[in-house]
Amino acid sequence: MKKTLRMILSLSMVGILLLQGCGSQKKEDVSFVPKYDKDTEFSLTVAGSYGNFESLEAEFERFYEYYPNANLQYVTMDDYKNVIPSALVSSEPPDIFTTNGSMIGDEKYDAMFEACEVFSDSSVAIDYSCIRNSLIRTTDSGDVVMLPIFTTSYGMLVNMDIFEKEGLKVPNNFNELMDVCAKLKDAGYESPVMGPDVFSGSGLFNCFAYPMFAYDVLKNSDKVDGLNNLDPSSGELMRPALARLNEFVTSDCIDVAKCQAEITDEYDSVIMRFFEGDVPIMLATGDVVSGTAKRESKSDAFSAHPFKYRFYVAPAGDDGGYFINSISICFSVNKKSRNLDMANEFMRFLISKKELGNMAELKRLITPIDDFSTDELYSSLADIPADRCFSDKETGLLDPAVRQFRAAIYAVGNGEMTVDEAIAAYGSIPEE
Amino acid sequence: MKRGLIITINLLIMGFIMLFIIRYANTKAEESNENAIIAFEKMTMTTSQIIANYLEDEQHLCDLWANYINRSAEDGAPMTAEDAISYIRKSKISSEIEGHLIFLDSPEREGISTTPNVADPNVYTVSYKKIEIFDNIETERDTNDVVGLTRAYTNPMNGVQSIAFLNNVTVLDNENNELKKGLLMRVVPLSRLEQKLVFLKGEYEDVEISLVDKEGNYVVHGKSFKNSNFFEYYKSYNAATSEEYKQVINEIAGGTGTMTIRNYKGEDCILSYTPLEIMTTWSLLAYIPASNLVASRSIDWLLLGIATLGFLILFIFNSIVMMTYNRKLSEAAKQANQANEAKSNFLSTMSHDIRTPMNAILGLNEMVLRDSRDENIRRYSESIRTAGNTLLGIINDILDFSKIEAGKMEIINVDYYFVSLLNDLVNMVQKKAEDKGLALKLNIDKNIPTVLNGDEIRIKQVVINILSNAVKYTKQGSITFSINARKPEDKPDSIILKISVADTGIGIKPEDLDKLFVAFQRIEEKRNRNIEGTGLGMTIVQRFLDMMGSHLEVESEYGKGSVFSFELEQKVVKWDPLGDFEEAFRRASSERTNYHEKFTAPDARVLVVDDTPVNLTVFVNLLKKTGLQIDTAESGDECISLFTKKHYDAIFLDHMMPDKDGIETLTEMKALTETPNTGTPVICLTANAISGMREMYTNAGFDDYLTKPIDAERLEMMLLQYLPGDKVNTESDNGDTDDNELPETENVDTDDNGLPAFLYNLKELDLASGIDYCGDAEDYIMALTLYMSSATKKAEEIENYWAEKDIKNTTIKVHGLKSASRLIGAMELGDFAEKLEKAGNNGDSEMLEKELDGFLSRYRQLARDLEPLNDLE
Repeated sequence: MKKTLRMILSLSMVGILLLQGCGSQKKEDVSFVPKYDKDTEFSLTVAGSYGNFESLEAEFERFYEYYPNANLQYVTMDDYKNVIPSALVSSEPPDIFTTNGSMIGDEKYDAMFEACEVFSDSSVAIDYSCIRNSLIRTTDSGDVVMLPIFTTSYGMLVNMDIFEKEGLKVPNNFNELMDVCAKLKDAGYESPVMGPDVFSGSGLFNCFAYPMFAYDVLKNSDKVDGLNNLDPSSGELMRPALARLNEFVTSDCIDVAKCQAEITDEYDSVIMRFFEGDVPIMLATGDVVSGTAKRESKSDAFSAHPFKYRFYVAPAGDDGGYFINSISICFSVNKKSRNLDMANEFMRFLISKKELGNMAELKRLITPIDDFSTDELYSSLADIPADRCFSDKETGLLDPAVRQFRAAIYAVGNGEMTVDEAIAAYGSIPEE
Repeated sequence: MKRGLIITINLLIMGFIMLFIIRYANTKAEESNENAIIAFEKMTMTTSQIIANYLEDEQHLCDLWANYINRSAEDGAPMTAEDAISYIRKSKISSEIEGHLIFLDSPEREGISTTPNVADPNVYTVSYKKIEIFDNIETERDTNDVVGLTRAYTNPMNGVQSIAFLNNVTVLDNENNELKKGLLMRVVPLSRLEQKLVFLKGEYEDVEISLVDKEGNYVVHGKSFKNSNFFEYYKSYNAATSEEYKQVINEIAGGTGTMTIRNYKGEDCILSYTPLEIMTTWSLLAYIPASNLVASRSIDWLLLGIATLGFLILFIFNSIVMMTYNRKLSEAAKQANQANEAKSNFLSTMSHDIRTPMNAILGLNEMVLRDSRDENIRRYSESIRTAGNTLLGIINDILDFSKIEAGKMEIINVDYYFVSLLNDLVNMVQKKAEDKGLALKLNIDKNIPTVLNGDEIRIKQVVINILSNAVKYTKQGSITFSINARKPEDKPDSIILKISVADTGIGIKPEDLDKLFVAFQRIEEKRNRNIEGTGLGMTIVQRFLDMMGSHLEVESEYGKGSVFSFELEQKVVKWDPLGDFEEAFRRASSERTNYHEKFTAPDARVLVVDDTPVNLTVFVNLLKKTGLQIDTAESGDECISLFTKKHYDAIFLDHMMPDKDGIETLTEMKALTETPNTGTPVICLTANAISGMREMYTNAGFDDYLTKPIDAERLEMMLLQYLPGDKVNTESDNGDTDDNELPETENVDTDDNGLPAFLYNLKELDLASGIDYCGDAEDYIMALTLYMSSATKKAEEIENYWAEKDIKNTTIKVHGLKSASRLIGAMELGDFAEKLEKAGNNGDSEMLEKELDGFLSRYRQLARDLEPLNDLE
């Protein structure tokens, strides 16, 4: 039942995207009009795993303009994924809390989501039509209990000043990438493309090849079950992406050894190395990009010689790159909140183009709304053709299959396996 | 003071006071603010103490648990973990508080909780594997800390933000029956701690309290404290350098204090911080917007506003009052100015009006002196001359004083012959002294240079005043006039004259010496009432000396005499010594008896121009014996006409004339190129010639000037100076000449001799007065003839001026007729003219309109009545 529903949903989303395109807009934003007396006194607690949530705190301040007597507080919870179900039934439950795409459908959280406000219920009166449809997750019963706040993706940070200096255009497809890299190499850039050589989703091989693989899976949805069942014969579907990765790592584009030596983790080190200013392209996820703003001032090199940078999808395909959109975090409302009305009121305020755009821009993550123009950093995403824009959920891939793919690209990218070996070993490729 | 300046000064004073108020208010506000901040800081410390007490209490309870468990172990009956938890479960009172017994060395950092997991009531196992609160627990806790405490964390059993008080316990391991170490945690919801801070709301409405650990991570998070770390928050919203940032961290970690920071809204906020005394890892931060804490400046602005308004009202009120007074003062000043102007006009008019008849009086008197052989008449005539000169002196003094008072008097230095100055001085005093039987002793330094540079006129006035006073106030004895010269050491081109006048007169009492220089104040008025004078002399002397850089010194012994002296620096133009002046003067004096012309010049021709015929008559007669050929003209145009036709050796030109005055006439004459009078000296005749006039006329182009009444001797001296030498026969040229050498008009001594009979029938004429004015019958007839012959023209001129409504020239003409009419004895007509002149001066055109025709009618009638004079030879 679940699989059927997911397939129907995925196909319908693909259809919608094909018609609409990545950055198409739906309708104009409507100004928030408070539903309750502005003097209403209430407190709300938003719980989450972020250590800092300044973009949310900024929204608190904007919300106070409508409800000056409100008191909203963000609380960071330790061991969030384990604790949040308990917290909801505790003596001090949060009113709003963060969730993510992997939680829904996970039995561990079924009780938690049952305790959530249903946003798709018209009586709640929250209009979430500004959010891209592909990002809306529902329960098995079709209820919308979580609304995406931030999304992320896989791609690359581009030092625009280097491209401008060298008179180059940001590559749109793999051939252009090869061409640009050759020119950059000639211009003295030892490794025109860099990234963290790690196993996780933030790893450079994943940023380069996973969107292409996901796209191939999306186009061959009949083979998803085989992949999810780790059927070795299904590994063949990885071939185009693995072959392209192999072609990439064996070209002049990237010096993997240099990446290993100079980029020691998948987050801080990636950003700080990029800010040195001599890396034209840094493969990274949106989550990594979200950390750039705070680190600009921490980088002496960047402070001394600031430069302009943008996020692009990696141009792995012959026709261009693929924008695979993943939910970063969602907000859910505790139905047992002592201030349920006001929690919903805050959500009603927050779920708008303006506020979600503000939050994403401040957080430097990809906005879930249907307009990328609000943040210049991600503005290139609007130009990607609709048929190459999709959400990770649409692929139908389950986590084990994804991890096997990561193991394959990690092995191929590091020269531990050939493409054929990796394909043959699908289902039993050693993971980290 | 100008109004703008007054307003500026007022505004400056107001501004100063307001600045003072602002400064004072600010100082007070700052004091108040400092006090408020100190109070806030104290509140922070109090709060810190409350929290510390609470934490200490909680720690104490945790320690009680641990002690009980540990004592069991020490007593040889160690509790198992379950026993220990069971004990705690029983001993704890609050359901909110949990006890966790954790074994840190277990793989999952597991333990047992007193309370089941809220998600599953059957689960008492608690795991801290993913809660990083123990990693640094040993290093963080100072050995002196009373409290062992975790940071705020999420209780894994119920998801509630909590803190945990720690102590180590020893329990029995069921599995191996050995003792093992465990960590006992008294887990308290953070909300309980937060409740301890609620009381502050009453005192400080917007205060927010946070507890941070030494890294700045919030334990208790105030609403406005953004971020999860205070230092990150500070850095985000305060533009601080890394040094400043470190300093803030050190200050907060270091102790109690207060600082100003900016919050996320960019507002200034007061942050008070203090460490919790019981532990080194936590600090209390109290934060409040500065605007809530510091004294509101609106009170200051209100005070300032009221003060400003008050000042403005006061300023406007005072301005109105001052303007009212000023208006009155202005009117008074205007009236005073008008009065002063009237005084000046009066003095000017007086000068002119008195000098004009004085010219006739003294001039004709001079004729009498020259022509009369009767000693009595000569004596009378001498008296007239003396009185007349005295009168002129008085007039001159008054005019000079007025000018000094008005600040218009200036010292004008010219080159002059010192001997000439001395001659004038001694001549003027000699006679007066002799008349009183006083000896005038001269003591003149022989080495005084002959030509000096200075204000000759003022020096003369000064010395004359002193000498005249000496004569006036000395009954017997002598006047000693001394002048000595010495060279100043530092000025080789100058000489210092020491001039002194010593008399044997009545002297001055010491107490009266101060009165000497007070205007119009006369010493011993009663005693000296018979001595003429205005009381201005010494005042003028002192003022002139001041202006010339000197001062008058007086030594006097009452009853014995006085010595007046002063020193005067003069530039030397010619160093030739003066020689023995006394001897030369004595000889000249002894030789001088009756008038005797100084020269004859029958070949010389002079032109005299004056709109008053009588003045022309006097001028001609004064020079009768010199044999000069004298042409007369009554207007500027007539003068120019003659100027272009005939050669003159000298021209005397009156200044004040209608139509074209002397200066305008001279300007036209100078503009003419082809005339027979190139280089002919032109001397100005003026009745206005008070002191300072020389420069004016010289600047106007005149070669010299001569004041009216004309001094005969000065006139002759001037002619001697200006006439060509070859046309002048002086005594030295001719040898002794007698009075009869020149043709002389027959003397007519009787009143009626030679007067035509018809004159006696003319009621308009007072013949006796006319003859008196004119000197004799012959001159009288000449004056009458002139009067008659010029009448038609003058009457027409007046009518023409009046037709053009030219009141000024009408008045001048009428003024001329006034003098002329009185001169010929037409006294009533003269009075009539005076009445019309006054009307003209006052701008009373109505009076002129009404009376002028009648006046001219009478004037013409008189002229017609005098026409038989044409028939006389």
